[in-house]
Amino acid sequence: MLNTIHLYIRSMGMLLKSHLQYPASFFMQTLAQLVMEGGEMLAVILVIDRFENLKQWSGANLFFFFGLMSVSFYITEFFGRGITGNFPSMVRNGQLDTLLLRPRNVLTQVLCSGVDPRRISCIAVGVTAMIMGSNMSDVSWSFLKVLALIESVLMSCMLILGLFMIEGIFCIHSVKSVELVNALTYGGRSACQYPIDIYPRPLKILFSVVAPFAMTMHVPAAYILGKPLYGWPTWTVFVTPLSGIAVLFVMSMLFNKGIRFYRSTGS
Amino acid sequence: MRAYFSVFRMRLKMELQYRGAMIGGIICQMFFGIVLVALYHALYESKGQALPIEQVSTYVWLQQAFFRMMVATDPDLNDKIKNGSISYDLCRPVNLYWFYYIRIAAQKLMGSLMRGIPMMIVAFLLPKGWGMSLPASIPGLCSGLVALFLGLLCMCALENITMAFTMRTLDPRGMQSLLGLLMVTLSGNLLPLTLFPDSWQKVITMLPYAQLLDASIRLYSGEYPVSDLPVVLLRQAGWAIVLILLGIWMWESNRKKMIIQGG
Amino acid sequence: MSYIEVEGLRKTFTVRKKREKGKLFREKEIVEALKGISFTVEKGELVGYIGPNGAGKSTTVKILSGILTPESGKASVGGRVPWKDRKDYVKHIGVVFGQRSQLWWDVPIIDSFSLLKDIYKIPEKDYKVRLSELTEALSLEKLMRTPLRLLSLGQKMRAELCGSLLHRPELLFLDEPTIGLDAVSKLALREFLKWENKEHGTTIMLTTHDMEDIAALCSRVMVLGHGQKLFDGHLNDLLEKFDKVRTVSVKYDIGTPALKLPEGVNADQKDGEIRITYSPSELPTSNMLSILQNAGNIREMTLESENIDHLIAAMYKEMDL
Repeated sequence: MLNTIHLYIRSMGMLLKSHLQYPASFFMQTLAQLVMEGGEMLAVILVIDRFENLKQWSGANLFFFFGLMSVSFYITEFFGRGITGNFPSMVRNGQLDTLLLRPRNVLTQVLCSGVDPRRISCIAVGVTAMIMGSNMSDVSWSFLKVLALIESVLMSCMLILGLFMIEGIFCIHSVKSVELVNALTYGGRSACQYPIDIYPRPLKILFSVVAPFAMTMHVPAAYILGKPLYGWPTWTVFVTPLSGIAVLFVMSMLFNKGIRFYRSTGS
Repeated sequence: MRAYFSVFRMRLKMELQYRGAMIGGIICQMFFGIVLVALYHALYESKGQALPIEQVSTYVWLQQAFFRMMVATDPDLNDKIKNGSISYDLCRPVNLYWFYYIRIAAQKLMGSLMRGIPMMIVAFLLPKGWGMSLPASIPGLCSGLVALFLGLLCMCALENITMAFTMRTLDPRGMQSLLGLLMVTLSGNLLPLTLFPDSWQKVITMLPYAQLLDASIRLYSGEYPVSDLPVVLLRQAGWAIVLILLGIWMWESNRKKMIIQGG
Repeated sequence: MSYIEVEGLRKTFTVRKKREKGKLFREKEIVEALKGISFTVEKGELVGYIGPNGAGKSTTVKILSGILTPESGKASVGGRVPWKDRKDYVKHIGVVFGQRSQLWWDVPIIDSFSLLKDIYKIPEKDYKVRLSELTEALSLEKLMRTPLRLLSLGQKMRAELCGSLLHRPELLFLDEPTIGLDAVSKLALREFLKWENKEHGTTIMLTTHDMEDIAALCSRVMVLGHGQKLFDGHLNDLLEKFDKVRTVSVKYDIGTPALKLPEGVNADQKDGEIRITYSPSELPTSNMLSILQNAGNIREMTLESENIDHLIAAMYKEMDL
């Protein structure tokens, strides 16, 4: 385990080095990402400008939600690029074979194969939105709230990574309609950058059970923003986000199964 | 002329082949539509607006249905630009601007029809307020269709301008994502233009991006009365001409540069 | 027990055909890539593995390197089954694909090697010894700080070899290693493989289309076609066996007369040219010539020389590949 983490950190360092070999291009793309994410935030600002509130949530609360989702999503894309971006082409161009020839878990190697430092600007936008939202909502930060926030971001990253793995599993089975999975990943991001309890029941169930953003994000955020937790005790805030790691665990198992399928059917 | 026609036909056929990807794409787009409509319903419950919710839903569904027309680029062409083989094309005797214009038009037309029509059928079947409403009037529908056609012309011209930019810059991705952002924001895909602050709308509806779909949707839903049709069409046609001329000029100057530099 | 033992290896692939007109779904077709292959290889052998494209060479390499699992059949390499416990197995083998890289594109190759050290968990001391040995043998010293993308094809291949041998594999697979290399690089590569084989007793299995690779390196050659093993033995035996085949092409002044050929001699006609393959031991060339002369006025005639590529081509043809 320790060795795996060491390997991941070394790979990341090396890949970062290679990204920085093209500084001009890196700068341009980071800037473009900043503008893109700024555009997303502009949409939220305009929504708040027109509607002021969203059910029981104030406009300030919405900034916090938006920030929480951006930070989690783009941290995942930053460090999990191997899964969120590179994997389909690795299957197509046969690089997956190369990974199978090494005495390490394939999933570990896929994760070690990509990093996307351009996302740093998106994360910055997310952090800004989160700070804005928390200041405007007059959040009184306590140790427990900080802990809840950290856990929420971490677990949401696990969840998002797990959802992107579904796409990887689809790829191995050579199903071309990956766009379908985008509904869960990118669709999940779009939907869950707003509080989930505003949606009709089917969507609420989808985002609590299948892609449990409600568990990893909504519940801790509600706690941090000082909203009543539907009558649940406070400790639940620290338990529900764990569903993120559960999803990741299940998806890793399925992913490894998928690799076995690949090995018995070939490319 | 015949060459352009056969390119058009070939692209139509190619687009028809990706049926598997199409079904996945439709489901994904439907999901985005449902989420957005649900969001606007919740927002409307908090604070009602002068604009009826049915019109917002219709706006969202039409945007989703014609998403393919706006965002999808030609992957072949992108690859050609990346690996530099576009410079061979630039030295060929056909007028490349129109060659690629036609290709893109065929792809966008077929792609959006194949995805848009099934999606609109489903959207009509959804409960009132959640799905698509009928057009405000028959003339409204007809003028919307005419505006959609002009929108497509603008769309392809814009795409060609993006391509021309891509060919110029050493690193196309930055430029592409910037232009892409302008597209999704100012065309009303990210947030219906009808929900932008009223003062902004006066400016934004004049910009080329609003001519793509927004104009047509507003005619369909009756936001623009049919009597406005000449003004709207004139604005669209004007932008189409400007954008096409700009694109031709950019392609031509790229070609000259390419010939001088020898690729 | 031999080092590699393969018995009755079978592998099929399901290929999706292009959708036919009017049908809603594509039909599937099952292709047999390997139809029961058996062979053994001793430790320290250098074996060439040849066959036309699509014969099943790569499939065999992929199965023996643990990437694919066969439908049926047995295989063991050094007592291990390749497709069982992949992680443990691949520690002991090295694979080089001629057209695929396992090193990192944008970083100096020394960094790639050092990362491979971590991946294979090679002890620091052993890594240093092995690396200096390999860099010397492959003359990589001056290239260590260069990113892979700036290396020439020949330099890249040398770097790949170094990367795949760092963990001292007992068995090395090479899939078309000389493809696209210039003459100097090819010679250097062959020298290195001989050295590695002799110095460390590394067993090497090599697939190639370049017969000179085989002639220079391999004492033993296996021929594969249509998923079956067609020949297994010394290269010279293979050549002797097929050197019997000669090909003669003739064109006549007027049309293509019917030839009175003895049984077992094949003739093809194409564009007024007749191509005949025969074996000189059964039908002496002088007899063949008189048959041809008696049939009419010969305008053009060529007797093909038996260079190694032609022999292989003739062999593939005779084996109906």
